[in-house]
Amino acid sequence: MLLTATRSEQDPAEGRIPGNKGIWAGILSEMTEFALLFGVYFIARAHFPAAFHEGPLQLSLFAGTFNTVLMISGSYFVANAVIAIRQNRPEVSLRWLVLVLFAACGYFVTKYFEFRWNVSQGITGRTGIFFTVYYYLTFTHMVHVLWGIMGLLWVMARTRTGAYGPQDHEGMEAFASYWHATDLVWLIIFPLLYLLR
Amino acid sequence: MTHKKTLNLLWLLLVALTLGGAYLGEAAEPGIAVTLVISLTMAFKGRIIIDHFMELKTANRTIRKLMRAYFYVLPLVTVLVYVFSEHFARLTML
Repeated sequence: MLLTATRSEQDPAEGRIPGNKGIWAGILSEMTEFALLFGVYFIARAHFPAAFHEGPLQLSLFAGTFNTVLMISGSYFVANAVIAIRQNRPEVSLRWLVLVLFAACGYFVTKYFEFRWNVSQGITGRTGIFFTVYYYLTFTHMVHVLWGIMGLLWVMARTRTGAYGPQDHEGMEAFASYWHATDLVWLIIFPLLYLLR
Repeated sequence: MTHKKTLNLLWLLLVALTLGGAYLGEAAEPGIAVTLVISLTMAFKGRIIIDHFMELKTANRTIRKLMRAYFYVLPLVTVLVYVFSEHFARLTML
C-alpha cells in the first residue's frame, strides 16, 4: 500500500494523458490561438522595430515581473494540490488550491494597477502598434486566466465535498494542466513584451 | 529525490530566473546576446513547466512532443525575427 502510494505520488504511469483528452483539445486550441497572436507580434515587431524597442521601456517591469512570479507560483501550488490528493490528503490539497486562488486574484489586482498606471502615463491601446499588441495579448491572456478561475472554483468545491481521491482525481488534473498551459503562455508574453528590446 | 522536492527546487529556480531576467531587461543594453539569453531562458522555463509541473516527461508522447515543440519554435522565431528583422518584414509585406 505504502509502495503504491509512493509510486503514484512520484511517478505517474508512463504514456498517460494528464487529466483527460477533452482538456488537451482545449489546451492545444489555446496554444494555437496564442501562436497566431504571437505571429502578429513578430510581424508587427519586424515592421516597426523602433516601436518595439521603445515600448517595453514605458511598461511597468515590476508589474510584469510580479505577475510572472504569481503565475509560476500558481503552477507550483496546483502541482502540490495534485500531489496531496494522490496521497489521499484532500484538506491539504484544498489549502494548496486556495493558494492558487490567491495567486490568480493577485494577478488580476496587479493587472488592474498596471492598466491604471498605463492610463496615467497616457498609454492606451491606440498609443501605438506596440501597445495595441500589448493590450491584445494581455487581455486575451486575462480571459484565459478568468476561465481558469472558474474551473478552479469548481475543483475547489469538488475537493471540499470529497469527490477526489488517490485513484480518481481526473478533474483536478485536467484543471492543473489547463492552469500550467496558461502559465506557459505568460512565460512567453513576459519576455516578448517586457524584456525584449 | 521525490517529485515534491524536485518541484520545490524548480519553483525557486523559476522565480530566480524570472528576477534575473527582469534585471537583465532593465540593466543590459539590448542586443543579440541579451536576446539569446532571454530566448534560451524562455525555452528552459517552458521545458521545466512542461516536463515537471505538467508531468509530460513520461506522459503521452504526442502531447509531450507538441508542447515541447512550442518551446523550441517560439524562442527560435524570437531570435530569428530579431536577427533577420528586415528580411522578415519583406516576407510579410502585404
